[in-house]
Amino acid sequence: MADVLSPALQDRPAPDKVPDVHISIRNVEKVYRSQRGSVVALENVSLDVAKGEFVSILGPSGCGKSTLLKCIAGLEPLSGGEIFVGRQRVAEPPKDLGVVFQRDILFDWRTTLDNVLVTVEFLGLKRRDYEARARSLLATYGLAGYENRYPWELSGGQRQRVAICRAMVHDPQFLLMDEPFGALDALTRDELNLELQNRWFADRKTIIFITHGISEAVFLSDRVIVMGRNPGRIIADVKIDLPRPRGVAVRDTAAFTAYTGRLRAIMDDANAGITHAGVLS
Amino acid sequence: MSDKVRDRLSGLAWVLAIFVAIAVVWEAAVKFFGVPLFILPPIEDVITELFSSPALFLRNAAFTVATAMGGFAIAVIVGILLSVMIVSSRLLERIFMTLLAVIHSIPKVALAPLFVIWLGTGFEPKLAIAAMMAVLVVVVDTVAGMRSVDPEMLNLARVTHASPLAILLKIRFPAALPQIFAAMKAAISLSVVGAIVGEYVGGQSGLGYVIIVAQGSFDTPRAFAAVLLLSIIATALFYTVVWAESLFIPWHVSQRPRPAG
Ligand SMILES: Nc1ncnc2c1ncn2[C@@H]1O[C@H](COP(=O)(O)OP(=O)(O)OP(=O)(O)O)[C@@H](O)[C@H]1O
Ligand SMILES: [Mg+2]
Repeated sequence: MADVLSPALQDRPAPDKVPDVHISIRNVEKVYRSQRGSVVALENVSLDVAKGEFVSILGPSGCGKSTLLKCIAGLEPLSGGEIFVGRQRVAEPPKDLGVVFQRDILFDWRTTLDNVLVTVEFLGLKRRDYEARARSLLATYGLAGYENRYPWELSGGQRQRVAICRAMVHDPQFLLMDEPFGALDALTRDELNLELQNRWFADRKTIIFITHGISEAVFLSDRVIVMGRNPGRIIADVKIDLPRPRGVAVRDTAAFTAYTGRLRAIMDDANAGITHAGVLS
Repeated sequence: MSDKVRDRLSGLAWVLAIFVAIAVVWEAAVKFFGVPLFILPPIEDVITELFSSPALFLRNAAFTVATAMGGFAIAVIVGILLSVMIVSSRLLERIFMTLLAVIHSIPKVALAPLFVIWLGTGFEPKLAIAAMMAVLVVVVDTVAGMRSVDPEMLNLARVTHASPLAILLKIRFPAALPQIFAAMKAAISLSVVGAIVGEYVGGQSGLGYVIIVAQGSFDTPRAFAAVLLLSIIATALFYTVVWAESLFIPWHVSQRPRPAG
């Protein structure tokens, strides 16, 4: 299996011909235009994610990870290419989706529990049916006893965990997570990685997970995508062949460290590429 | 809780202290410069006047309070409804913002006599003037508040397919509440001014009317008594809004316990 992709993957079958493809990203371009000029955030990005697959995206800051996530979520219009979720071409946010944004964006006027349940309210579902689930999610994420606190009474990491619960409370088939564990200490992060992995292993949702943590990406994923910047593009697609379910001990195996080493090398090259480009221009 | 109570008590103490300070300066000025009675009466004359005809003052004060509060309520309700329309449509924004700017540029005092012609000398014209004085500030602040919602919050709403009504009631409105309360603090004072202007130009009730009549007979103590009462009323109304603010937006930065120092 080649790690480095050919520049374009055209002539692939339509998603309805391949039953297990959940998300199909095809030759996506994204250009942000403003008075001060335009930024090419994504150039010719193509990626298929199978139903029930866990895919992580690694890449330097500013390479377009969040942009790609917003494009998949139907929040940003594409400048080129197309994205399918299931058989549906994404023009507006797809159904049955949960999103953890990079910023927690909690509502200051709602308590922790009400912040989690806002998803349910917006979806037009009954709060009553989801309150127990919301409470148990909060407990899983170490927030039992914080249900009636306001967001400004929480730490940055606690706020982020509330945002995760909010994205999961309606049990979506498809999750987009933008650095959900970014503001956590190493220990809590390990714990939540384990919890996320077990949960995913149990119900096999499709997850696209953005992170800066190489070891986290390897631990959680079936595949790790590496992006480069200027312009934002996919530079590597690494399949992680480690047995599931994975325990904390997997991190000490040779196979694991081989993956992290390889990914680190790819990312170093990507960063070096930036430097050269900067010198040349 | 004790912190909040202490905060509020010290707020009240400040108001009282400032009233007392003004009284002292006033009294000293009258005594020291020998100001004639019809220009500036000593404060005890004003207070004596206040208690000499309590029924008159109470009746007229009640009328002014009713006008100011009614006008304020209309301004807030109409102002928020207009803001919702303005935020939801570019066309409506053009129409209403232009209209409001034009209306606001006309001095309300100049319009007051016309309102008497249109609506008579009763309660209604005064209510209309009070409301008109206050509505623009409510619209301007509420629109600004609803517009300054974090775009990521709206992304969250889009991802969960929130209805426009849910976005309005559960995001835009609560997000704008701090600005709405700021506007209400300005609006309550403006509607008191509007009520008095209305009472100046027509009718036979209200503290404004008491002042005009007292002026006609050079009864300076009575005019001062009315002004004193008015300032107490305006201050009380203002602090009522402040109190409502702490009740409705306990989550806002301005309402959280402040660090000492
Ligand atoms: N709304 C926007 N308007 C204009 N340019 C934008 C906008 N959002 C992002 N960009 C630009 O697009 C590029 C990619 O941004 P993006 O947020 O996707 O990066 P990222 O990979 O998520 O970075 P990080 O790891 O720091 O979160 C950056 O150069 C950024 O300046
Ligand atoms: Mg990002």
